Amino acid sequence: MSEAPPPVAETAPHQVHGDERMPPRSDMADAIGWLALGIAILIASVSMDRLESQHINPYTVPGLLPGLLGIAMMLLGGVLGVRSWERGALSQPPMPVTADQREERRRILIVIALCAGYGVVLIGHGIPFWLASTIFVSGSIIVMQRISRDPQERQLTLRMLLKAGVIGVASSVITQLVFQEVFLVRMP
Amino acid sequence: MLQGLSELGHAYLSFLNPLTLLYGLGGAFVGIVMGILPGLSATLAIALLTTLTIKLGTNDAILVLICSYVGALYGGSRTAILLNIPGTAANAASCADGYALAKQGQAGRAIGIATSGAFVSTLFGVICLAAFTPLLAEVALKFGAFEFFWLALFGVTMSGTIVGQDPLKGWLMGLLGLFVAQIGQEGLYAYNRFTFGWDELAGGIALIPALVGAFGLAEVLTTLSDPVERKMIELRDSVLPRFREVAQYWRTVLRSGVIGVTTGLLPGVGEDAGAWMSYAAAKAMSKEKEKFGKGSIDGLMAAETGDMSSIPGHIIPCLALGIPGSAPSAVLMAAMIIHGVQPGPMLMIQHPQFIYDVVAMTTLASITILLFGLFGVRPLLHILKVRRAILMPIVFLLCTIGAFATASRLFDVYAMIAIGIIAFFLRKRGYEMAPLVLGLVLGPLLDKSLRRGLVLSDGSLLPFFTRPIALAFALVTIFTVLLYVPPFKRGVNRVKDAIFGGVRAMLARRA
Repeated sequence: MSEAPPPVAETAPHQVHGDERMPPRSDMADAIGWLALGIAILIASVSMDRLESQHINPYTVPGLLPGLLGIAMMLLGGVLGVRSWERGALSQPPMPVTADQREERRRILIVIALCAGYGVVLIGHGIPFWLASTIFVSGSIIVMQRISRDPQERQLTLRMLLKAGVIGVASSVITQLVFQEVFLVRMP
Repeated sequence: MLQGLSELGHAYLSFLNPLTLLYGLGGAFVGIVMGILPGLSATLAIALLTTLTIKLGTNDAILVLICSYVGALYGGSRTAILLNIPGTAANAASCADGYALAKQGQAGRAIGIATSGAFVSTLFGVICLAAFTPLLAEVALKFGAFEFFWLALFGVTMSGTIVGQDPLKGWLMGLLGLFVAQIGQEGLYAYNRFTFGWDELAGGIALIPALVGAFGLAEVLTTLSDPVERKMIELRDSVLPRFREVAQYWRTVLRSGVIGVTTGLLPGVGEDAGAWMSYAAAKAMSKEKEKFGKGSIDGLMAAETGDMSSIPGHIIPCLALGIPGSAPSAVLMAAMIIHGVQPGPMLMIQHPQFIYDVVAMTTLASITILLFGLFGVRPLLHILKVRRAILMPIVFLLCTIGAFATASRLFDVYAMIAIGIIAFFLRKRGYEMAPLVLGLVLGPLLDKSLRRGLVLSDGSLLPFFTRPIALAFALVTIFTVLLYVPPFKRGVNRVKDAIFGGVRAMLARRA
């Protein structure tokens, strides 16, 4: 079991020197990302239409606040970069990937594929919502059980397939009925 | 005063009908279930229920949402006690002592203490809500563009500083939220910002799909990506509420209640801050410090009362200033706007009865959790036995409907998925979501206030620093950020040490 997080006195308001748990290389990569985003926002804000043709007050140009936000993002991104550099981001070798991490990455990709497949491909393109949802829920249950660490859970039995199918149909139909018929919410 | 009491009485009476009570119980039920499920937060519960209740009347819908808010935090402590995983972030402080009690075979007792503490502290918060919201709303009527500009910045800065362990990442998330809020048509000239000619983006990134992604899909990914599935401890003893222990630890309950409400008043700080600060204060004041973390009743009571009393605390600035105190209250505020009630200083003028209605709703919410505590804990806990492979796809199905239903746009589903995936990776890299949410909510206010303020002052920045309330917010905001600069922090520490050293020396001399 995981350990409980330390109480606030040891963590929050006074700890202002950063999250020491994240590897410096990761923070350095983040810093580059924030800097790039800040620069992009600033450029887009400066080049944004100032609506001079409408004779608006020059202090109300649409790009004013986004530009300031871009500058602030660049500044904070820069500080994050300097902090990670001071912590040895450039001198430390990258940490080796463990077997657990590899498994976790594989699971992340699978879950993203399942969710994106449902949200982008299955729904909203002619397939009835309940059917699309049944395919997603049942399919996800089967896939997640197949990649489980528990060998018993991994076994593809008829009972397991039936169970996944029944749960998929029941959850989709009940959800559609409750949302659409009882609470009058439109379904995708 | 008398008018306020009469409106409050009217509000309580208006909720005394079977259908309203059923709505309240339904909201609390969904909230408790979401709270019990590890990672599914009060924010997600409220966001999903906002779509479900969109066709209900304003008061019924907000009642369901408030009951689910209170229910989610209440339900979350059960998971903290039985699994050592906080059901919601706010229940993290309950893990240490709650789980220790469960391991000693006293899980039921711990749950009973959590129930009684939650009930009493929510009621304490309700009293503060009724007393302080009209007062704060009156003060807020003096706020202009300059004050709101700093208040919005203050909220994002405080949220970034206190939530999580790295203020720098918190502020960056706040900035990201503020930026995302600028996407779409701006409020003054209806000019499309950052839409790149994409019509779907002209309406901006809607709050509900964004939050469903950040708190729903991101959690589905977090739960399913973990190769290990956790098992709960079996319940053997009674889970009935323990009011004797509330009486025994009345000092802790009162202290944590005050701390919870006070932290609730700070914008964007979240319920977990109330819990942790109450826990730290209880530990500091306790005669049995060594028991903290090993099954201390005092510690569990402090954590539970701290987070629950912060709920009404968070609703106070939400109603009076239009500045949410936490991520769930931000969604609650969005739901109020969807239902035609604009929270903020004008609320007392436009809908004076509504504040008292919210007080009555929160009272009803605390009663519903007591009812569930008395009769419904054991059956509801069976949900923890459902495998995540079964539960999480259903949760994502609900997220999809939740994202779609508010505006019936597929684009919102795509936005939810994109934001959920980004939020998941950001969370893994140590970035918290609460400042992002606050940025999203306060972005339009910050933009409007800055530009209006500059027009009023004809381009001068002076009024942003010379008006007393604006100056106070500006000083706290700038000071908080400067504390991150090492030379400034060293200087502050030197001044602090000199002052405390001087006081200590003076006291020693007198003694």
